[in-house]
Amino acid sequence: MTLIELAARNVLRNKVRTLLTVAGVAVAVLTFLLLRTVIYSWTAGVDAAATDRLVTRHKVTFVLELPLRYFEDVRMVPGVRVATFANWFGGKDPQHPNDFFQTLAVEPDTFFDVYSEMKLPATELAAFKQNRQGAVVGDVIAAKLGWKVGDRITLESPIFPTPPDQPWTFMVEGIYEATSKAVDRSTVVFHWKYINDAMPEVRKDEIGWVVSRVDDPSRAAEVASAIDRAFETRDTQTMTQDERAFASSFMASFSAVLSALDIVSVGILLIMLLVLGNTIAMGVRERTNEYGVLRALGFSPSHIAGFIVGESLVVGALGGALGLLISYPIVNRGIGNWLEENMGAMFPYFQVTPLLATIAFALALALGLVAAAVPAWGASRLNVTDALRRVA
Amino acid sequence: MTDSTSDGAHSDADLDPANEPRQSGPVERADGAESIVRIRSLVKTYFRGDEPLKVLDQLDLDIPKGSFEALMGPSGSGKSTLLNLIAGLDRPTSGTVVVDGKQIDRMGESQLARWRAATLGFVFQSFNLLPVLTALENVELPLLLAPLRAAERRKRAETALKIVGLEDRVKHYPRQLSGGQEQRVAIARAIVNDPKIIVADEPTGDLDRQSAADVMTLLEKLNQQLGKTIVMVTHDPAAAERASIIRRLDKGILV
Ligand SMILES: Nc1ncnc2c1ncn2[C@@H]1O[C@H](COP(=O)(O)OP(=O)(O)OP(=O)(O)O)[C@@H](O)[C@H]1O
Ligand SMILES: [Mg+2]
Repeated sequence: MTLIELAARNVLRNKVRTLLTVAGVAVAVLTFLLLRTVIYSWTAGVDAAATDRLVTRHKVTFVLELPLRYFEDVRMVPGVRVATFANWFGGKDPQHPNDFFQTLAVEPDTFFDVYSEMKLPATELAAFKQNRQGAVVGDVIAAKLGWKVGDRITLESPIFPTPPDQPWTFMVEGIYEATSKAVDRSTVVFHWKYINDAMPEVRKDEIGWVVSRVDDPSRAAEVASAIDRAFETRDTQTMTQDERAFASSFMASFSAVLSALDIVSVGILLIMLLVLGNTIAMGVRERTNEYGVLRALGFSPSHIAGFIVGESLVVGALGGALGLLISYPIVNRGIGNWLEENMGAMFPYFQVTPLLATIAFALALALGLVAAAVPAWGASRLNVTDALRRVA
Repeated sequence: MTDSTSDGAHSDADLDPANEPRQSGPVERADGAESIVRIRSLVKTYFRGDEPLKVLDQLDLDIPKGSFEALMGPSGSGKSTLLNLIAGLDRPTSGTVVVDGKQIDRMGESQLARWRAATLGFVFQSFNLLPVLTALENVELPLLLAPLRAAERRKRAETALKIVGLEDRVKHYPRQLSGGQEQRVAIARAIVNDPKIIVADEPTGDLDRQSAADVMTLLEKLNQQLGKTIVMVTHDPAAAERASIIRRLDKGILV
């Protein structure tokens, strides 16, 4: 027998209680991981957004359109290397009304130059550019809805309505993959011109926003203000931000939800601390007499504190490990896959990252330490004769 | 184990000078033998709220090395208090307690714990074995504090169990033992680190007559064959009779 074994015996002493506490810590860790992953995934787009990519939109709000000729004007601004534009389409597949995916009407010749992290074979890209009704779809949505290159797909849009029996039809010319985790792999893009040509005169030549890449990322801010200056005296003013700022202004509308999740995730940690602390304090109270015996046998106050802290660390570690273990099937496989497939635009990458897993485990240990601090301090300061008189 | 010199007149030279304040008078010794416990002007006062309760009053006591002492007296007379002070489990209000040449009333808690582990074995009335450990593991417990290999610890624990006659119960848990057996395991635990002095607070208090007699025979054997000094508090006259010296404590004073 060793000191460690002695401590381990005490952990296993009240198996039901230890098990329940470990389970409690595990559930807390799981919930914590889930909440943090929601926050991480939601904001990952912001963090991964390129700073050399500028988004030019209507000064008032990104819901309002810009005139088409603004695209050419942005292109002319010095420092802009390549530009493209896109429009929200808000499309839905009438055959899969419950599947949500992002649909964009884009400028086909430049779109994939600006979004270079969306990759598709050169032949597919060429075919897409050729075909006015061509579409490129993400690999995740393609796999989910069973779309293959050459398939004909139909979309309905509340923004660009069609007669009920004549939905928009497209031909899948390419399937893109993503080189960055922050890219949604469920987007459908097609020719803006195809939509525009079908529009009545009053709605023709409207684009949602212009996206450009600059030659020198360090001068992005200068280029952005140069773009806005170019439209200062025009009837519609613009607001140009780098993509990160654009993404965060979009995120800002969710900031209340995010901070609520933030607070709840901290609350979960506090609950974990209380669960652990309660168990440890209970065990220490029951065993006060034994600590007196150990002290009488020659164990020092720091031995007693060590036993208590050790016990708490073991419970914290077991709970943390169990929480991580169950988070894999639940968060990464279950919820994560579902969100990536169904809400990819919002949660392009919903997985527990190794960093988060490490942090969660370290927190379980740290909370074990904190939970044991007060009982350990008290028990180590106990007067031996008082402790011996204490009956469990 | 290093016994102090047998030449009583120079025994002070063995004492750690840092721990040993000079006494003004010559060191008194009971029976002319060397004292393993020397207590001077010991006062212990408890407070119940603001009200002081003087349990031990200016107590002097010398316990010769190798003796077997029984401490008797009415309930509440301060026997356990005195024993706890000798074992360093409690601190005197004033006065000095020197055990095996070390003045223990000045030691810090950790130092005291180390000293206890090396010098003293404690036997409780209610055995106080740890329920999660087997008899062997309970006996091994104090050895965890010594720099010994696992095999050596085990061997010593087995030897101690053999001395108390329980070599066939090593794997039993306390709940699987009779009270008498539990107390013998507790005694094995008290002697496993080869202490110089064993203190026992009513070791037969929770036992039937036969088990009590067995335990007393065992303590006698430890005293006579292994030369352990034993200080035992007891209410049981039959137990006290086995001791070589009987002292009586009444209202905090030795009579
Ligand atoms: N921690 C304490 N606080 C206050 N009073 C105490 C404390 N410990 C002991 N006493 C009091 O000191 C007195 C002596 O107690 P002690 O336990 O030494 O008696 P005892 O001689 O061992 O009695 P018994 O034979 O019943 O065991 C008692 O009156 C007791 O109430
Ligand atoms: Mg008593």
